[in-house]
Amino acid sequence: MTTNKEITPQDILLKADALRPQLGSGFRDEIVQSMYAEAQRITDRAVQQDKKQKWDLDQRIDRLVTSPIFGLPIMLFILAAIFWLTIVGANVPSQLLATGLFWIEEQAANLFTSIGIPWWITGFLWHGVYRGLAWVISVMLPPMAIFFPIFTILEDLGYLPRVAFNLDWLFKKAGAHGKQALSMAMGFGCNAAGVISTRVIDSPRERLIAILTNNFVPCNGRFPTLIMLATVFVAASFPPAFASFVAAGSVLVVVLIGVFFTMLMSWILSRTVLKGEASAFTLELPPYRRPSIGRILYTSLIDRTIFVLWRAILTAAPAGALIWILGNILVQDVSLANHIASFLNPFGLLLGLDGVILLAYIIAIPANEIVVPTMMMVYMGVGMMTDPPSYNQLYTLLVDGYGWTMLTAVNLMLFSLLHNPCATTILTIYKETKSMRWAVLSVVITLGTAFLVTFLVASLVRLAGWV
Amino acid sequence: MTIHNTSGCEGCPMTAQLEQMGLKLDKFDRIVALAGNPNTGKSTLFNTLTGLNQHTGNWPGKTVTRAEGGYVFQNVRYKLIDLPGTYSLLSASQDEEVARNFILFGQPDCTVVVTDATALERNLNLVLQVLEITEKVVVAVNLMDEAKRKGIQVDTRSLARDLGVPAIPIIARNGEGVQTLLSTIASVISGEIATKPLRVKGSAQFQSAVNSLSEEIKKLFPGVPNARWLAIRLLDGDVRVKEAIQSGEINDLVNSQRRSDVQFSSRMAVEGRQ
Amino acid sequence: MFENFSWILFFLIFLLLLVLVFFPQYGLKDRWQRYKIANKRVLLEDALKYIFDQEQQGHTVGVDALSGKLKISSKSAFELIEQMTEQGLITTQKNHVHLSDDGERLALQIIRAHRLWERYLLDEARMPLDQVHDQAKRRQHGMTQKEIDELDASLGYPLSDPHGDPIPTAAGTFYPHEKGIQVNEWEEGVLGKIVHLEDEPAIAFAQIMAAGLKPGQLVRILEKNQKRVILTDGEQEFNLAPAVAANVYVLPLSKEEMVQRDAIPLSQLPTEMEAEIVRLDESCQGFTRRRFLDLGLTPGTKIYPELDNSFGDPRAYRVRGTLIALRSDQAEDIWVTPMQVTS
Repeated sequence: MTTNKEITPQDILLKADALRPQLGSGFRDEIVQSMYAEAQRITDRAVQQDKKQKWDLDQRIDRLVTSPIFGLPIMLFILAAIFWLTIVGANVPSQLLATGLFWIEEQAANLFTSIGIPWWITGFLWHGVYRGLAWVISVMLPPMAIFFPIFTILEDLGYLPRVAFNLDWLFKKAGAHGKQALSMAMGFGCNAAGVISTRVIDSPRERLIAILTNNFVPCNGRFPTLIMLATVFVAASFPPAFASFVAAGSVLVVVLIGVFFTMLMSWILSRTVLKGEASAFTLELPPYRRPSIGRILYTSLIDRTIFVLWRAILTAAPAGALIWILGNILVQDVSLANHIASFLNPFGLLLGLDGVILLAYIIAIPANEIVVPTMMMVYMGVGMMTDPPSYNQLYTLLVDGYGWTMLTAVNLMLFSLLHNPCATTILTIYKETKSMRWAVLSVVITLGTAFLVTFLVASLVRLAGWV
Repeated sequence: MTIHNTSGCEGCPMTAQLEQMGLKLDKFDRIVALAGNPNTGKSTLFNTLTGLNQHTGNWPGKTVTRAEGGYVFQNVRYKLIDLPGTYSLLSASQDEEVARNFILFGQPDCTVVVTDATALERNLNLVLQVLEITEKVVVAVNLMDEAKRKGIQVDTRSLARDLGVPAIPIIARNGEGVQTLLSTIASVISGEIATKPLRVKGSAQFQSAVNSLSEEIKKLFPGVPNARWLAIRLLDGDVRVKEAIQSGEINDLVNSQRRSDVQFSSRMAVEGRQ
Repeated sequence: MFENFSWILFFLIFLLLLVLVFFPQYGLKDRWQRYKIANKRVLLEDALKYIFDQEQQGHTVGVDALSGKLKISSKSAFELIEQMTEQGLITTQKNHVHLSDDGERLALQIIRAHRLWERYLLDEARMPLDQVHDQAKRRQHGMTQKEIDELDASLGYPLSDPHGDPIPTAAGTFYPHEKGIQVNEWEEGVLGKIVHLEDEPAIAFAQIMAAGLKPGQLVRILEKNQKRVILTDGEQEFNLAPAVAANVYVLPLSKEEMVQRDAIPLSQLPTEMEAEIVRLDESCQGFTRRRFLDLGLTPGTKIYPELDNSFGDPRAYRVRGTLIALRSDQAEDIWVTPMQVTS
């Protein structure tokens, strides 16, 4: 204590500088090595391993799911099976929910009218705001309640790192990190969650690639659109017994197209704005764990389903109101919505879509879930979001009434897959990268790709004379 | 007080004296940090103790932010901090820095290192590093059921003897051993169980360098509890430690970090749920 | 009406231009001034480094040499010398300039910044070795002592740059370091370790890079004559012109290294053959090395390739009871000796 005055902080730092070279070039190597040596000694004393059953089951499963022949097919099969279960399982509950919720709307609207509340309040509240909510709930809740638990089982089981392992060669070629597969898998649930999960990637360059391309994985908000189009247009021409398989198959194809664009964009990014060498790739393949059912249900239903649904509801209510207003303000006997739609129409046609679809996408920027209902509303011109009658009627309506073709359906699926991220995701990208630049770039990249691809497909199809 | 017990272990014995506090963190008596490698069931233990539902997934790096929760055990209120899972505390990656700085500067009353019984050797690396920083440590050997399934027997008594701190076998998923873990934490904090953590020797040069440097640090900052670790970090090249010594702030830092951490954590508790 | 409008538009554009040029700090005028000052500083630092290098080799520097090296006019070179003299960085004798103590300190600081940046760019930013020199040159200027110290600490106090040149310490000294022997002076057939690759001239260095040599590699001479020097690492042959080979420096192996000379890279280990790690490659530094160490890939550890991938890359290895996947680029940096096959 008495000699305190003689030592200054600077002395300590100098002393450290002087001591360091005595330890050779690897001070870090030295510490870690002696720690592991100690750990090994302690483990040898404390742990006994029965020689007989050494990781037998895990190893056998791993051999199978990463095998050169079966690895990829198994992965695709699992993915297709999840889609199929979601499509088949969600169909009936969706219809029931829709019937129930719209019945409430009708009753409530009638009640309002009967007690003399002005038509525009009734319309705005029930046919606008409420109908938007009802749509989102009946379209989104059942698929999510099926998709998320299945997905969470895979996640808790430990299968996802194997997917990353199987696909890393692709990511390596694209100049990206294999763990991007993990964030893409998360993106199936919600792209914002996918963007957050890129934190597992250590290298900033590869993490940015993963963030910017995450939107090419269709999230749960976009699945209903894909499923509807796949069911109504692609599967309709097959016998009913196969329809659900065909629908699941076409959703799978769309997802694979998304993977293709993820790779392509990663490749382009890693050779232009985000140039650099591949970083160290180390991926732990954890042992398989038996998932616990209670936790899975909680995580997938409360944390994920309700979370995503709540967000959708928050955006759907004001969007529903906006749609109602646009549909009910008449200029020269035509609603404002129709005016905007016809203004956008030439551009839409160029992309193989139409003005109504583009308008729906613009309104749905806060939440992609409400694209289809918005579209229907403008088509029907009834000034409110409308539930699609049955799938058959929908087909006749769109094709005969509004000139839809197979091209429209295919391009709408492509556009839905590739277009800009929703507002929440853009905000998340901004928060994660702390830079406006990357957030803007993520929009430019996706929207640019969407326009380009749909335009090319439309031109090609028209040139070939298929439409 | 509502207890939402969704962890699937109704009727297991641990609920006897444990009261899950969820996010009620405004008042607490003790801070306990949960450290551990990725994928060792840290979050599962966290959920079991707090009744919260921090998401657990079987892929490395799932917990990316620090989560917090509370529990009451034998009338003492504990705040539990789930640190990001890391293999080590030496590197400069973001999550490791969070974990390292919290254990070093946040000065939790006790640090629980959750380890995977099926891969103990690799897990012990982190345990040994934590033992370098603090002596209030309890090692929770998790996944004992998995280990049994794979024919691995872990002698936790031998482990505790070698490490110089308690080692408790648990199965976080169904709450087995958690009761013992909690009472051990309480005893370590109160000093009933005296710990004598193992400090890795290393080569003679390593020893003499670290010893002489930590002597100097102790002379300059008499109150600092972990001069040895500071010496190691300084030799290894930790800019933050270097700055703290240079500006002579190391003592203030210990206090201020603790304060800002409390603020940070209450914010995290809200945001941590996404 | 419309004409009025266009006048207003013109006026607005004019205002905007004014703002663009004269806006404090972000305006073009201030930017240009900062750029000029920065440029001056770069020039001064380059000059100091050049003089230092020349003095190290026993040469003296005159105005002509300086203007030639820095590609500036004689007039500018004079001004530069004047400025440096004023700042007490150099003294002039006759036609030659000499570094003062302050000048030498500053020169060493610049060299330190340069070599640290090279380390950073290679190890942390994962830039190819043949690009780090130029990039580091761009970043080394205008750093404060504190910034350099921080960079040094964050890299874990490396002793040498990626080419094998020693990095000066904060105090301006070099750690004891052997530069090695030029490989054309090396005895034929004897195994040596590459300790240094001279990065200037850039053309020669590019050829060394193209041949695929790297620091830490073990090589011996297969053939040596007036026209060429052929090296081999046991697998590959490296064909170099003698002038290029003179930029490759080697040293004899230490006892420890002799024992490990049969080691193979982990990437070449057949699947399901157990091996023991002997060392991590010297070229593997920074983040990658730290991550390897954290995962327990330390010398003496047993490792076992357990899972092959459909496309050969990555492979998963069993290490200390856990399964870890590595790409072949990473596995190349881990040297192992295969163990006797049991059962």
